[in-house]
Amino acid sequence: MTKEDLLIGYFSNTLSNLHKSEFENLLKIDAEFKAQFEFEKALKKVVKKKENDKLKAKLHSFEEELKTPLLNSKTQVNPKANSISWLKIAASLVLFVSAGWIAYNSFFSTNYMSLYDANFKAYPNTEVTIIRGDTTIDETVRKAFVAYESEDYNEAIKQFTNLNANYVPFYKAQSYLKLGKLNEAKQFLNTSITNTVFVAESHWYLALIALKEKQKDQAVEQLQKVITLGTFKKDKAKELLEKL
Amino acid sequence: MKFIVNLLITNTLMYKEDSITLDDLKQGSESAFKQIYIENREKFINFGRRYSLSEDELVEVYQDTYIAFYDNIMSGKIKAFTNSISTYLFSIGKYLIFQKMRTNKKTVNPDYDLQIVRDNEVDVTILDLDNEGLTEEQQLLYSNFDDLGKQCKELLTLFYYRGYTIKDILELGNYNSENVIKSAKSRCLKTLKNRIKATIIP
Repeated sequence: MTKEDLLIGYFSNTLSNLHKSEFENLLKIDAEFKAQFEFEKALKKVVKKKENDKLKAKLHSFEEELKTPLLNSKTQVNPKANSISWLKIAASLVLFVSAGWIAYNSFFSTNYMSLYDANFKAYPNTEVTIIRGDTTIDETVRKAFVAYESEDYNEAIKQFTNLNANYVPFYKAQSYLKLGKLNEAKQFLNTSITNTVFVAESHWYLALIALKEKQKDQAVEQLQKVITLGTFKKDKAKELLEKL
Repeated sequence: MKFIVNLLITNTLMYKEDSITLDDLKQGSESAFKQIYIENREKFINFGRRYSLSEDELVEVYQDTYIAFYDNIMSGKIKAFTNSISTYLFSIGKYLIFQKMRTNKKTVNPDYDLQIVRDNEVDVTILDLDNEGLTEEQQLLYSNFDDLGKQCKELLTLFYYRGYTIKDILELGNYNSENVIKSAKSRCLKTLKNRIKATIIP
């Protein structure tokens, strides 16, 4: 078994007892092997952190949905499991009245604003986990995301401007969107689609801006890009396209 | 009385999640992932209220618990459900709540029985519940990982996070042989190392 196979076996948890001994022995006597092992072990932890951050963002979006019962009708998986409360009755009334309003509007024309409002949700911070006292994060990065998470978007923009990471245009665009500055948001989203990260996400938000500006062709074009990329809100984009 | 109520809650949960399999989660089913989160949220928060944590802290613990549970499925530490999903969540949650309370230096109200779900608990010592932050070197790896190509990121995530063996990856059909996968993996690692070197010594 080669050294590479031993490492693969270790990380796949498939080493036999004999190979485990060989593996442990190599760790003691072969510095290069040990260094490679440490590198892969660190990488495993980093990949886990990456995935965990994505999961955390997903869970945050579930929480957001739970907070907005209007958009929550499709995600009530098991309504019988939940106890009836006045809050839920009130939410149902809001849903009933709103559904009537949306139906009324869509009967006469495509209501771009309501489509925008129903679909716009600021993208959560998925880059940095902010833990008090964590000194491993760069101070400007921390300040930027603390401001972003506390919805102090002017401060967030100020801090993001001092940073150079590839996620910066996307989060600046998000901040401008929340401040209602659509032109600035568009400008940064157009920069963001040329990056390697948040490409589909940027097209999605460009589509939403187009909706808000009643630019149907633009919205259709951007939504088609979201569907083609298929990595973010693909189904939502299809749904929206059908409504346009 | 409290014991009976909690036992009832635990037993009810055992019944409800029968339809979701470990494979659903292991294969990355979005709907199963969401369903479990939503179905257990309220019960978990109610369960956690006895530990003097705020609502926000409890939601945070619930999310950390859920992610830890998912991680352990991916890494193969949980190979089959020997208990209901909610029992896993309660057991991991209790461990993390205690950890959080130790950090907050809070004591527990003696009226509450900390061992209330003991009969149905999962042995969390066999799970990986490490949630310590990244070191400076790991932070460097973290920031360089995103710059890898899509194929590299997918391959490394399958191998190091989702517990796929080289053979499992071959079965997905994107590569022609195990050797091709091994070479691709080696190249990805080399690229990552080079990027880090370039970051340290520009």
